[in-house]
Amino acid sequence: MKKSERIAAMFITAGGVWIMFYAWHTLKLGSIQVPDAGLMPFLAGAGLSILGIAWAWISRGKDERPRRFFEPGIWSRPVFSVALMVIYALAFENIGYITSTLAFMVAWQKLIEKERWGKTIAISILAAAAMYALFVYFLKVPIPPELFLR
Amino acid sequence: MEIFSGLLNGFSIALTGTNILFAFIGALIGTAVGVLPGLGPAATIALLLPITYIISSPVTAIIMMAGIFYGSMYGGSTTSILLNLPGEAASVVTCIDGYQMAKKGRAGAALGISAIGSFIAGTVAVIGLTLFAPPLAEFALDFGPPEYFALTTLGLLLAVTLSGRSIVKGLILLVFGLLFAMVGLDPISGKIRFTFGSIGLQGGFDFVTMAMGVFGLGEILYNLETTIKTEIVTTKIGKVFPTLKDWADSKWAILRGSAIGFFIGIIPGGGAVISSLASYAIEKKYSKHPEEFGEGAIQGVAGPESANNAASSSSFIPLLTLGIPGNAAIAMIFAALMIQGITPGPFLVVEHPDVFWGVIASMYLGNGMLLVLNLPLVGLWVQMLRVPYGILAPVIVLFTTIGVYSVQNQVFDIYSMLFFAVIGYGMRKLDFDPAPLPLAFVLGPMVERSLRQSLLISGGDPAIFVTRPISGTLIAIFVLLIAGQCILSIKRKMGRKKKSVNP
Repeated sequence: MKKSERIAAMFITAGGVWIMFYAWHTLKLGSIQVPDAGLMPFLAGAGLSILGIAWAWISRGKDERPRRFFEPGIWSRPVFSVALMVIYALAFENIGYITSTLAFMVAWQKLIEKERWGKTIAISILAAAAMYALFVYFLKVPIPPELFLR
Repeated sequence: MEIFSGLLNGFSIALTGTNILFAFIGALIGTAVGVLPGLGPAATIALLLPITYIISSPVTAIIMMAGIFYGSMYGGSTTSILLNLPGEAASVVTCIDGYQMAKKGRAGAALGISAIGSFIAGTVAVIGLTLFAPPLAEFALDFGPPEYFALTTLGLLLAVTLSGRSIVKGLILLVFGLLFAMVGLDPISGKIRFTFGSIGLQGGFDFVTMAMGVFGLGEILYNLETTIKTEIVTTKIGKVFPTLKDWADSKWAILRGSAIGFFIGIIPGGGAVISSLASYAIEKKYSKHPEEFGEGAIQGVAGPESANNAASSSSFIPLLTLGIPGNAAIAMIFAALMIQGITPGPFLVVEHPDVFWGVIASMYLGNGMLLVLNLPLVGLWVQMLRVPYGILAPVIVLFTTIGVYSVQNQVFDIYSMLFFAVIGYGMRKLDFDPAPLPLAFVLGPMVERSLRQSLLISGGDPAIFVTRPISGTLIAIFVLLIAGQCILSIKRKMGRKKKSVNP
């Protein structure tokens, strides 16, 4: 079993136990005649903790592949892109849709794809314009206004 | 007769200008995502869910989504044959003989026979859907909470066991799906669950944000690790119309594939992938020249491609009649119906005959459109493979972000989508098949409601699930299935031990 799998199985089991406690303590189980809001979460939590143990038990020992969860060299692309997406979501409302979209596209092409400047700018403008046309012009989605126009 | 008049009514709806246009858009998008590796039909329908809020007519929205689903089955074969890379999961097996045919200069014949096989199978399955769905819906009208509890749990369990991946991992995702669906207000007691003081979570997680995160962005993040290389084996496709000999060689494979696909597609969790694998195995087993399989046997393309199309159409049967989605893409369509205020289930044919028959009728049209889109225009789709993933990925991110924002105009939804994207990425890294998650998410409220209502009806007596004939039968199947799985795995372990003792 890979280390990442062992950690995930442990988290799942612990999470299941915590959900059982939360369901019993906070939500209340009720009685079998009149089940309360906690019954299903309790059952789900119990299932989760058992499954976590079962997962660890079944895959114990086998499959000690050299491949790691975060392999050097490739982990950066998904991690950077999630970071970019979070920044994009933050900027979305604060600095306006068009500015943030252009900035996001430029950042993606430069940081993740390592694209040349000319191509980066062309792709960014085209993509932002296409999104604007589809969502704002055709589908009439109200977008956050630009900071410099407020 | 009722079926005939219903279908006629359906055609009068499907043949309006708007609906023809949206069926065409669906077929077009479906073919495109089928061709593009790394973007499946479930992800695409998830990405387009926000658009269903804008399309005012439910029939039109569902016609488009259905078109994407069965359209992707047509497109998937193109990439398999020309690139030896499945355009989507159900075309994995087409790579084996399809690519060999292309290497021998018979790409055109392979593409042609898979389009024609898909058309025949799609049409056969829609005829089956037309004939089987109405009586099944009528039968399901008598179902009460215990029957629904038994049916939904059986459906979920089948979806996990049949997926062919790790059962324990499938069950873990199933429980996660149920738990995510519980977040927010409990409809029976009025209590708030799992919100931890967040006001944004009080309304619960939205299916759209979950689906777009896990399927849309999760897939993108995972694909960012590997650069998908698109090297086309041949740019010369040649004649796409099969010769008489090709046709004679593959006609029975197409018909067998249609039947296999139709029946496997009805079972939750069955679907397109398993049916194409089953069809390939059967064609190879009953062929007079099994040695040709793997070397470019046309039956190895015709059978599986027919089967996956038939399965994608027949998987609408449990959705439209019982309200139970059997695979991830159908779960997205389930959600699209709910967004439009329509609860899929046995009452659909009575309460919304326009949706029920309109969608079925549109499938006859859609299959015809797809034949035209795929036979003469196949060269055009091949060109699309030249769009680099480096452009496609950020554009999809832009699309999902504004798409999810447009649903309720709140940035909170974008964060919640990103949360699910990270979960979806982690799932793929740990070898989880994400399909059970949306199924459990959409069925979760039904499972919980029917369990609690059943216990209320019976005064807390759990025997209610086994004493009623239909739910009793379903529970019996459920138990047999679990017992069968346990026996199988024990036998396998024993066999392995014997082998290791006497190698």
